Amino acid sequence: MSRGAAGRAAIIGIGATEFSKDSGRTPMELAVESCEAALADAGLPAEKVDGMVTFSAEQNLEIEIARNLRIPALRHFSMVPHGGGAACGTIGQAAAAVHAGSADYVLCYRAFNERSWHRFGSGVQGRHGGAESFDISFSWTSPFGLLTPASWVAMFATRYMHQYGATSEDFGRVAVADRRHAANNPAAFFHEQPITLADHQESRWIVEPLRLLDCCQESDGGQALLVTTVERARDLAPTPAVIAAAAQGATDDQQAMRSYYRDNIAAIPEMGLCARQLWEATGLGPDDIQVANIYDHFTPLVLPQLEEFGFCRRGEAADFLRDGNIELGGRLPINTNGGQLGEAYIHGMNGIAEAVRQIRGTSVNQVDGVEHALVTAGTSVPTSALILGQDS
Amino acid sequence: MADSDTPLGGRPGSAGVNPGEEKAEFLAALCAQVGATGKPWTARDPVSEPVIRAWCDAMADGNPLYTSPDRAAAGPYGGIVAPPAMLQVWTMVGLHLGGPPERAVEDTPSAGVYQLLDDAGFVGVVATNATYSYDRLLRPGHLLTGTQTLAEVSEEKSTGLGVGHFVTTETLYTDQDGNRVGSMTLRILKFRPGTGRQGPEDDTAEERPVRPRPATNRSTDWFWDGCRAGQLRIQACDDCGHLQHPPAVRCLSCGGADLGHTIASGRGTLYSWAVPHYPQAPAFDYPLVVGLVELEEGVRLVSNVTGVRPDQLNVEMPLELHWLDTDDDTTLHQFRPAAPRRRDSTLAAGELEVGHRLPLSPVPIDTLLIVSTALATRDFQDVHHDPDAARAKGTPDIFMNILTSCGIVSRWIGDWAGPDVGWQSIDLRLGAPNHPGDTMTLSGSVTAVKSADGHDLVTVGFEGANSLGTHVSGTAELVFGDLPGGEA
Repeated sequence: MSRGAAGRAAIIGIGATEFSKDSGRTPMELAVESCEAALADAGLPAEKVDGMVTFSAEQNLEIEIARNLRIPALRHFSMVPHGGGAACGTIGQAAAAVHAGSADYVLCYRAFNERSWHRFGSGVQGRHGGAESFDISFSWTSPFGLLTPASWVAMFATRYMHQYGATSEDFGRVAVADRRHAANNPAAFFHEQPITLADHQESRWIVEPLRLLDCCQESDGGQALLVTTVERARDLAPTPAVIAAAAQGATDDQQAMRSYYRDNIAAIPEMGLCARQLWEATGLGPDDIQVANIYDHFTPLVLPQLEEFGFCRRGEAADFLRDGNIELGGRLPINTNGGQLGEAYIHGMNGIAEAVRQIRGTSVNQVDGVEHALVTAGTSVPTSALILGQDS
Repeated sequence: MADSDTPLGGRPGSAGVNPGEEKAEFLAALCAQVGATGKPWTARDPVSEPVIRAWCDAMADGNPLYTSPDRAAAGPYGGIVAPPAMLQVWTMVGLHLGGPPERAVEDTPSAGVYQLLDDAGFVGVVATNATYSYDRLLRPGHLLTGTQTLAEVSEEKSTGLGVGHFVTTETLYTDQDGNRVGSMTLRILKFRPGTGRQGPEDDTAEERPVRPRPATNRSTDWFWDGCRAGQLRIQACDDCGHLQHPPAVRCLSCGGADLGHTIASGRGTLYSWAVPHYPQAPAFDYPLVVGLVELEEGVRLVSNVTGVRPDQLNVEMPLELHWLDTDDDTTLHQFRPAAPRRRDSTLAAGELEVGHRLPLSPVPIDTLLIVSTALATRDFQDVHHDPDAARAKGTPDIFMNILTSCGIVSRWIGDWAGPDVGWQSIDLRLGAPNHPGDTMTLSGSVTAVKSADGHDLVTVGFEGANSLGTHVSGTAELVFGDLPGGEA
């Protein structure tokens, strides 16, 4: 997002399907339903939409959604690469588009059946051959049995533990907080199903050092968000969630999921790059953030994200967690919807919707006096992040 | 191993079938000589440097006190000594002008028991336990005599290998002056081939899918060609010399387009690791250890780490390269714990504490090792050199003999402790056999330290694990510091 767009666009509509393990519908139905819900939330007729941004991983093309929604003309459409790293990037590109005038109302969306159809957690077992650069990239890991997202992330987790003395229990504290927050959220798959640290420690290995309860859910569902300029947003009914800034980042010998070759793999420099851009564009700092949705596909990578944003010092996130800071009532409650471990794994888009609710004051786990909410996108890939604020 | 008493998975006291009268009679015949002592058996040749050297070569034991006259002369014993682990070797029967490697039945009570068991179809043979105690050092010129007592013959037992009887003997070793130099308690299982638990059949192996093949193109072919040639190639910039992995089409340091490669030494350390448990891909064996290896050249790569259990992984552990052919066209780099270096100076009394870990040591098992060590220990049992004979006797291939298990464990402990360490005893229990193609990884730690009179008596507990399970476990008692007595 251009520096000039900071604070000039807002999220004015949010809409989701229910989150489940078996939607019983096609991903296209989920995509259309969630877009319809976002438009209904905003009170905007579909024919006003003239832009759509999604993930390059998305299988529901924007033109088919536009056809179903009877959107007459799309002036801006784009896709953001790198799986869940795209989430906040879609909002940033939508904000830039409405600020630049290349579109007035942009739908950002993600929908899939990644539990009942293709299981996301199964990874790349079937992927063989090919001569393109992306095919080649798997050659350095797949023949050795690193075939799943959990296995790719485990390598970072082991190093982080070694370097900073974090433990499996520290990772468990993220899961416990997420599930506690999800327990209050009727929309969460794990509504009224909190876990204890002992539950976490007793859960089986998926890829050591990751246990089952360190891993997000495979979910069916869809989430859409509507972006427009702050001025246009003021003409619609909901409270605008102003996009104070959004940023994308790729850096330092960046690889997709397997940036194993850079100096320090216990850090997330691409998230650090996002953090610096957000602080610079907004003039804010860690003390100005009251609530956050920290991407939690796997718990271990929550810790270095807290460090990259300066909520604690490098290597000290485990202490930050032990002190209860990420719980409701703590210094920085995170994932108040239950996160992707507790609510659903919609590639980070449901976390952005929760930040909108925190700005609106409508979260089931509402934090008092939210001025700014931080959201981060998928880690271990090129990523993105954003800050939402109140319309002053 | 299924229980503490029978290392091959037997259940003590559970006779295979109802013991009929015949069986009772047979057992009585087997036990008739229990307690009897055989004729003393004097070695044909004295302890000698060439035989020591052949043993050290086969075991890869580099302790200079065993083979280097100069270093040994300057050592604590003033000259060459025999490895304590060779105690049993000197009085092994040998081939005797081509005759069978057996003692005469009338000379030794165990020979009679073995004969009875062979005749009854218990032709399979494995050693299961050995305890050696070392009373005096052996030097070239010592002539040993062994006197064996038949200590015990078990009732019929069901074991993993088959139904059989355990035969325990005790042998006392003396030198030419009648001084006691050591003793051995040896337990052997004679079993009936084909009556054990069937191992996993290999016919599933043919249907098993191969591992994902590396995708290649002209920018990376050279890397995989190198693997097939046994070279771990790392991309190198011709202009600035920068090394990088994974390969790129430009130098990531200077931007140069002229890229070649260098050949890595194969030494590195473990930078991080992951152990996939779920989901399992059928091409792989689990638990699967995947390491991020930092090569000594400074670049990292992902590789399997073999010969190490997940609970033995340590970030920064030293690793060494080896290779795995996964299909006709694919060879993958693999790493395993680096063989520990032999200490030149011996650990001193006071340096060791309970819990101190010995370095992991992977021992690749191949036919050469099994056969050469069998010969160097003067063990001519066909199961240690003849695959067909081994199969006929109920094992899938030739396997390592217990004298070698003892020798290799002793060499590894000696390499860690230093050349001057004193040996008091070693106790070994054998389980899963070491067949060619496997790797046995030795691990161990100090389990007790007793200090007295300027020396430490240190107990080391050890285990050697292969792909089938625990091959060997046991304890060794060592003396560090001023050696108490023991000089012959």
